[in-house]
Amino acid sequence: MTNGTISIRDALYESPGPKAKKIIAAATVLSLVVLAALIYLVIHQFYITGQLDSRYWSVFARASTWRYLGKGLLGTLKVALGSSLVAFAIAMVMMLGRLSSIRPVSWIAVALIELSRGIPTLLFIYFFFLVPSQFGIMLPVYWKITLPVAISASGVVAETLRSGVNAVPKGQTEAALSLGMTDGKVFFKIVFPQAFRYVIPSLIAELVIVLKDTTFAYVVSYADMMLNARVLISNYDALLAVYLVVAVIYIIINYLLHRAAVFMAGHRKTAAA
Amino acid sequence: MTIQELLAQFGDKYLQALITTYQLTFISFFLATILGVIITVMRVSPIRPLQIAADFYVQIFRNIPGAALLILLVYALPYLNIVLPYFTAVLIATTLIPSSFCSEYLMSGMNTIGAGQIEAARSLGMTFMQMIRHVVMPQAIRSSVLPMTNLLVATMLTTALASQVPLNPTDLTGIVSYINTHAVGGITAFLISAVLYCGTAVIIGQIGNQIDRKVRILR
Amino acid sequence: MATNEQTAIIELKHIDKHFGSLHVLKDINLTVHKGEVVVIIGPSGSGKSTLCRTINRLETIDSGEIVIDGDILPQEGKKLARLRSEVGMVFQSFNLFAHKTILDNVTIGPREVLGTPKKKAEEEAMALLKRVGVENQAKKVPAQLSGGQQQRVAIARSLAMHPKVMLFDEPTSALDPEMIGEVLDVMTELAREGMTMVIVTHEMNFARRVADRIIFMDEGRILEENEPEAFFSAPGTQRAKDFLNTLKERDR
Repeated sequence: MTNGTISIRDALYESPGPKAKKIIAAATVLSLVVLAALIYLVIHQFYITGQLDSRYWSVFARASTWRYLGKGLLGTLKVALGSSLVAFAIAMVMMLGRLSSIRPVSWIAVALIELSRGIPTLLFIYFFFLVPSQFGIMLPVYWKITLPVAISASGVVAETLRSGVNAVPKGQTEAALSLGMTDGKVFFKIVFPQAFRYVIPSLIAELVIVLKDTTFAYVVSYADMMLNARVLISNYDALLAVYLVVAVIYIIINYLLHRAAVFMAGHRKTAAA
Repeated sequence: MTIQELLAQFGDKYLQALITTYQLTFISFFLATILGVIITVMRVSPIRPLQIAADFYVQIFRNIPGAALLILLVYALPYLNIVLPYFTAVLIATTLIPSSFCSEYLMSGMNTIGAGQIEAARSLGMTFMQMIRHVVMPQAIRSSVLPMTNLLVATMLTTALASQVPLNPTDLTGIVSYINTHAVGGITAFLISAVLYCGTAVIIGQIGNQIDRKVRILR
Repeated sequence: MATNEQTAIIELKHIDKHFGSLHVLKDINLTVHKGEVVVIIGPSGSGKSTLCRTINRLETIDSGEIVIDGDILPQEGKKLARLRSEVGMVFQSFNLFAHKTILDNVTIGPREVLGTPKKKAEEEAMALLKRVGVENQAKKVPAQLSGGQQQRVAIARSLAMHPKVMLFDEPTSALDPEMIGEVLDVMTELAREGMTMVIVTHEMNFARRVADRIIFMDEGRILEENEPEAFFSAPGTQRAKDFLNTLKERDR
């Protein structure tokens, strides 16, 4: 009855008449057949290449496999957590710089944000992998992956934080100023806490970017889940099975983060209403 | 190494690398857009299995790390008797991932139209195709300019995956590790690639903003 | 006004509809004659909007029969589209096409559905925009207009199709109070010119002034059907009395 909450999915096609119903039913059956055929083809390909053989999959019956992958996942999460915190810190500085009334400061911040957002994570990773050692600086492997992933995410996070700050109504600042607060106090006590709350869903969604980028840890030989998977493979000769399972684990984690972001966004909306 | 020395020795390699990156970027973006449209049509269709399959597709490829996908394509597929040339494998990875994001952008672009305008179009007596052509598509396309611009940049960044397989000529990221294993390229070698990437991103962003300013729909 | 000799434009026979387990329309029977203005009132959730929307099949019905100008309401396809082009609809939330200018909003129906040449469609559109008082906004886009102006454009957009009947689904409910009048004035004018209208509204003074017949609905049923004077001065059911009293309380 009200149009507000209806998604395009429900709106685009109206309730079908008898003819449309028949067409939809036929299309449904046909699409099911096609999808089933596709799934069959995939499984068939696994079958004829012997990839369904239990020796490839029995790896996952061992607790040690899961322990080892779990250890790798822990490494992945350590990098993700470290990168997120560092990215947030850098992003805060960039965002404050960008909002600064001093022109050169805000220009520099804009340039840094553009650099962060316009350069692939892998290039940053190679930079930290190859350059510091040329200057005699020995970075621990953890930081060789964590720093570039953080720098790569910081630009996006800075822009997210800025959008949050811009979303805080001007009246909040005016009210705080009229109470006699200093500019700094107004920002950190009044504006930023609200801005932060606005952007929590986006920040959660951006964890997905970080988590994906941690998979390049193998470049610097840091033991994340990807690298541990490779070790498993060399021990058990089950490349396809192991990489497939690892990919699925990544997908599930990212999917859950994505759902969490959506949930938080919905939660915030209902809380505000 | 100074920038002159570097360019004298590796200048043509950088040019080839830039061309490889651009090739991958634009071909992937083109294919990803087509794929994204097809997936979106499936997602909004009234045919349930297609909806579910397309939703599943989007969740897989928006959540899979690029490295994991590339490794599956390059190292795992041969076990299924499917051997892809490296360039093709990279191209597939850098197409599939952006296609899922493309579909997400198109979905949210269409959602801003709202059910009301669709009912209004129906009430005027428009057929389904007229409604798509005159009401849904123009608005979805016009509100997708900025997301699609971002997608083009994101696609370019994804093509750095090419550096993870042996390609000749390699891409803008691959060349940096190439130079650093053949000579001490230092910071300069990175700077050249970084400037080329970032410069391209900024130009794409500017063009996107220009177009968006012209076609943006007031709401 | 409505006499038996006049032709029926809309006939609803034994309409039933559920939303899930909710029975929203219960055995609705209603006939609207040519030139008649029928106003449907009732508390929110009474099914009046749903009823209005079934007439051009924006809502489907579970059972019963809808006859428009002698033909059974088609269920799909070109026939349904053609019928809808003959039935104007004005929505609560205006629903103008956001990417088109005001002029294009009014011409798109005639041009695409009726095949009217551009020049003719634009002349007619300008005349209609003038009639609803927004002719100097023709080159703007909907977001640049006030709600009242947008709703008047929406009325012009419907009129451009030369409809046999116009449906109004709470046309002033989304408007700021100071803009309600300008929209009701346009509707009053339309009624005076003899347009057949079905109006769902909460504006009782307007209903009293313009309606040939008042339909009072509650919980999916038509409880009363009467001439406005008779209905408002002496409602026949307790429900209607309660409803009118709450409105009076609110207006006080």
